[in-house]
Amino acid sequence: MIVAENLTRVYTMGRVEVRALEGVSLSVARGEFVGIMGASGSGKSTLLHILGLLDRPDSGRVTIDGTDVLALSDHRRTLFRLNRLGYVFQDYALIGELTALENVYLTSLVRGDPKEGYLKKSAEILSRVGLGDRMDHRQSELSGGEQQRVAIARALVNSPSILLADEPCANLDSQTSKSILDLFARLNEDLGQTILMVSHEDWHKEYFCRVVTLRDGLIEDVTECRKA
Amino acid sequence: MPVFAGLRVSAFLAWKAIQRGSKGTLALTIMIIALIFVNLVFLPSIISGVVETFNTQSIDFDFGNLVIEPREGSQYIDDATGLQKKVQRVPGITGTSPRTAAGVTYFYKGRNAASTLYGITPEDERSVTKIADYLTEGEFLSNGDTDAIIMGATLAGREGEEGGGLPTLEGVMVGDPVEVAYPNGATRTYRVKGIYETQSFGVDTSAFITNREMSGVLGLQDQASVILVKTEVNGREEEYQRELLSYGIQEEVRTYQEKAGGFVDQAIQSFNIINAISTMVSLIIAVVVVFIVIFINTVNRRRQIGILKAIGIDQRIIINSYVLQVLFITAVGALAGIALNAGVTTYLTAYPLVFPGGPVYPLVEASAILRSIASLFAVSVVAGYIPAWRIAREDILSAIRG
Repeated sequence: MIVAENLTRVYTMGRVEVRALEGVSLSVARGEFVGIMGASGSGKSTLLHILGLLDRPDSGRVTIDGTDVLALSDHRRTLFRLNRLGYVFQDYALIGELTALENVYLTSLVRGDPKEGYLKKSAEILSRVGLGDRMDHRQSELSGGEQQRVAIARALVNSPSILLADEPCANLDSQTSKSILDLFARLNEDLGQTILMVSHEDWHKEYFCRVVTLRDGLIEDVTECRKA
Repeated sequence: MPVFAGLRVSAFLAWKAIQRGSKGTLALTIMIIALIFVNLVFLPSIISGVVETFNTQSIDFDFGNLVIEPREGSQYIDDATGLQKKVQRVPGITGTSPRTAAGVTYFYKGRNAASTLYGITPEDERSVTKIADYLTEGEFLSNGDTDAIIMGATLAGREGEEGGGLPTLEGVMVGDPVEVAYPNGATRTYRVKGIYETQSFGVDTSAFITNREMSGVLGLQDQASVILVKTEVNGREEEYQRELLSYGIQEEVRTYQEKAGGFVDQAIQSFNIINAISTMVSLIIAVVVVFIVIFINTVNRRRQIGILKAIGIDQRIIINSYVLQVLFITAVGALAGIALNAGVTTYLTAYPLVFPGGPVYPLVEASAILRSIASLFAVSVVAGYIPAWRIAREDILSAIRG
């Protein structure tokens, strides 16, 4: 359960102040698939970054599963991200020197999990996202869709409470985008995975349980799309 | 997260970057480190070689290990035979050789040269110096010789070759007569019995006759200018010096280092200054190379470093992965440097550098290698750590946005 209360965030770009969030409050229940939408500069990525502990608001409060995450030290935040959150970025963000399997088990290695366990689990997740036969390939040997699937597998390997996705389909064609969104929907429905996803594509709405639309740093609209 | 797990991840990332990163950059960096290592070790090995050559030449040809000189105010050591016997009773003394020295002028085929002529007892001289083993022509002196002289190769010279400031008679051959004018006005003609070449220029510009002959000319009675002393082992001259004094020897006892005076010390000091500058330049090059390689590497991966931090990888793990890469590069570079240096040393041992004091063989000391490895590792780790730390401590979003 994520609870964000009255978040504000102002950036200074040179001499210009950009008011990215002007008081956003939002709750996301366990098992929800929430889409954050809005025009460019509406504050959707800023909101996702704050909820994903990658940025701090200027004011407001964020609790995740009862933990006041803004009160955590930098080191604790790193551990929280490692153990409780999973990320999927727009441009996949894989490590080029690692194979698909190595990219996926990297965070398990950091957690100090037993080798046999994380190898098995990583292979299983890669198979689940349809890359069972591409595990030993490196980033340069994978298509954009395949790379994004590896990134999703990496985000899921530690069974995160929340999966955060920042425009994961922005660099993909519509067919591949659909397959990625189908995968998200399956994870949400079959495993009850909580997903928070930023998007600006209208047709993505059909996958979300709820759509939060931002405009000029404020929530403009909240729409229920499908039953969670 | 346990420290060990963190290091394991750092090592994993470092190894994959080395294994699958650019081989060309890796090989070039290792090669530069290897060359820097050679540079760090090479000059000290030559300086050590010069010192070694100087010591060996001094002991083998000029002075032996110790030199006994007349008491203050005396020109000669009296009762040289008695003193010789006394010294030979000291444990660890393996030879003594009384020498009488005179500044003379040599005349040969209308040419002349001034240098030192030594009177020696041939058998005794053999027990201290190795001049007898370095004859290029003819024979060494015998105890009974009175009309024979042996001459250094520089003094004997070559036909038509001037000495360039050194005394030379330009082409004396074995069997030739050479006239010698003594400081007391006496002149004698000696037949050249042998010519030696030690490459120690002080010895190669001198000549030797027997003590019997020189004492006769100078009117000396069992007297000597110096007595050279050879000890069982080299390097413990000061101990033997004290030992001789404790046996009640009244004459001055000097080590060969003291006899050589400040000349070589000054040369070594100058060498050490050059070496310090060269070491500093090498290490600065090492710092710059490692810094640039890691800096470019981390700047190119700024976004990747941001992603790693975003997915929960501690910045210490990321920094350590770069430090481990640097350690690997430095270790392989040092090993390649050791191999390269062994090649250079082998070559220069077969074809030594020729210095005025004799041939110089590079002398690679373990301490120089260890010092070079330690300094290379120290500067490399610092040069690798700083750029990695600068990028890794950057705000996650700034790094991700590039």
